[in-house]
Amino acid sequence: MNMINAFLRRPAAASVLSLIIVLAFYVLIGGVDLGRLAGAASWVNFAANLGIVALPVGLLMIAGEIDISIGAMIPAGSITTAILSGYYGLPIGVGMAGALALGVLVGLVNGLLAVRTTVPTLIITLGTLVGMQGVVLSAAVLLTGNASVALTSPDWAKFAFGHLIAGSYQVIIVWWLILTILFAFVVHYTRYGNWIFAMGGDKISARNAGIPTRGLTIVLFVLSASCAAFVGMCQAIQFNSAQVSGGMGYIFNTIVSIVVGGVLLTGGFGSVSGIFFGALTFAIVSQGIYFTNIDRNWSNLIIGVMLLIAVAMNEAFRRRALAYSPRKRKAA
Amino acid sequence: MTAGASISSNLGRLARRPEAGSLVGLIVIYIFFAILGGQVFLGAPGWSSWLNMAAEVGTIALPVGLLMIAGELDISVGSVLPASSLTVAILSGRWGLPIYIGIAGGLGVGLAVGLFNGLLVTRTRIPSLILTIGSMFGVMGLTLGFTIWIAGSTGVFIVPDPLTKTLLGSALGGMFQVGIFWWAGFVVVIYGLLHLSTWGNWIFALGGDKESARNAGIPTQKLTIQLYMLSGFAAAFVGVTQVITFGSAQVAAGSSFIFNSIMCVVIGGVILTGGAGSVIGIVLGTMTFAIVNQGIFFSGLDPNFGSIIIGALLLTAVLSNDTFRAMALSYVAKKK
Repeated sequence: MNMINAFLRRPAAASVLSLIIVLAFYVLIGGVDLGRLAGAASWVNFAANLGIVALPVGLLMIAGEIDISIGAMIPAGSITTAILSGYYGLPIGVGMAGALALGVLVGLVNGLLAVRTTVPTLIITLGTLVGMQGVVLSAAVLLTGNASVALTSPDWAKFAFGHLIAGSYQVIIVWWLILTILFAFVVHYTRYGNWIFAMGGDKISARNAGIPTRGLTIVLFVLSASCAAFVGMCQAIQFNSAQVSGGMGYIFNTIVSIVVGGVLLTGGFGSVSGIFFGALTFAIVSQGIYFTNIDRNWSNLIIGVMLLIAVAMNEAFRRRALAYSPRKRKAA
Repeated sequence: MTAGASISSNLGRLARRPEAGSLVGLIVIYIFFAILGGQVFLGAPGWSSWLNMAAEVGTIALPVGLLMIAGELDISVGSVLPASSLTVAILSGRWGLPIYIGIAGGLGVGLAVGLFNGLLVTRTRIPSLILTIGSMFGVMGLTLGFTIWIAGSTGVFIVPDPLTKTLLGSALGGMFQVGIFWWAGFVVVIYGLLHLSTWGNWIFALGGDKESARNAGIPTQKLTIQLYMLSGFAAAFVGVTQVITFGSAQVAAGSSFIFNSIMCVVIGGVILTGGAGSVIGIVLGTMTFAIVNQGIFFSGLDPNFGSIIIGALLLTAVLSNDTFRAMALSYVAKKK
């Protein structure tokens, strides 16, 4: 009982429960063969692409901010790599560096605007989202005369970023796992993670406590924009051409999977493992429906209902978590 | 007070009005595209193309702007629009019910989603961004699921009678859609509500400080629900006019309205932090947005260039709002 209580106070609780509920729903109502679902690559690939972006955006949401410019940064990373290395024939390393540098640059702009003004980051990043969409597409058209750019990458780059393990699993899954472990370590075992939670809980107090909130905010924005550019870069190498569209879908998918993962937009609450499971759950809902005998047209309805249930669970669990600490103090 | 001081204080007051920046932006943008687009853009084809767009996005931007003044967001408008279109098309097109039942059904869908959003936002402490993303996915799924289930395809056709077509889906001179006049009507009504009635004061109070507003006796919960129902209704109305105009409804329509409506509102000088903004500003912002979006096709520039201009406009608007706000607040302090 104690263990269950302890589990229910963890931010990841809602996401693990959501995952179990979704799987149970698909098995009982949808007649899913779990073995077939577990062996399928489609939802894992989907989860990996989504999950890499969800990690830094989730940290931003823990810190009380949001970044929707990732919707433009994924195609931006893709096109930058393809233009530099595909169209101009520069070494792939230059293309990759260019994509990541663009991510850092846009992240810097977002971060600087976020700390220098009182404007909500949703609005700031909406501006950079639209702006970057235009910059990326018109750059592609102006420089190459075409909206889609081909790219051939050398074997080592193909192996590291764009090949299929066992014929169907994208190598980006490995990157997702590595990044998750890295993020989990930094967030939960170093002081930087504590800073993020402190900032999301109360920014003024955090700053008064000596936390460099401005620098930290900028770093988080740089991380999210460059992670998005990284995903775009991997996609370009994987598919041998720049993926111009498709970024917009990531905006809401990312936010939903983070919230399902137990992060509250109000800040100060969440965990990396929760974000990981959130992306996994979202991928199972949206891709796993193809393995059920439920009409796939209902998948958005399931996502919406799942989000609202997850949000309600988060609230309940957070209240539990907050109610717990005063009692503990009394006992001591 | 001397005459000079009064003029400068008038100018100062003008510059501090929330819509001052939007007006300057609109003029600069119009001149820019007038130079590039020439006679065609300045004539009826140019005006009709951007006014048609402004009317559609502007009808939704008005209530979304009110919500943003009150400090809330509504993402679900993007899915209410096709939901309403398809309700009309299924009720009156496929099942052959009278058109007014179809329209009532479509608008009813908008009001129902608005009520649902409003109840969720007022009953929980979850940010409205998240809640309305949830209802957006939900409504999207319901629309797609029911449409396929009932009609068997993602598009449904309808042939409206001449009177309905004239009122909701015709175009004056083949160019100016009747939606422009509806938009103008909404602008007048919302202007009256926001700036001339107590209800409008309540919205500003709500956005400024929700707790104090409630303590002052403002029915904040009821007000929030009304605002969400208004934005649901407006999105549904645009859905109705679209289905009557085009004679068919598509499941995939509408998602562009989510960010477009927010952008119009922000360019119009409304800050998401709540408590500030004006209907005139929202209208100016909508017009600016539409001029950039449509003017780009008359200018000979690459269409993608339009996005850059809008992004730049948005950031400029936001930054100047920030400055104006600081100025406005410091002005009050000085007066004391």
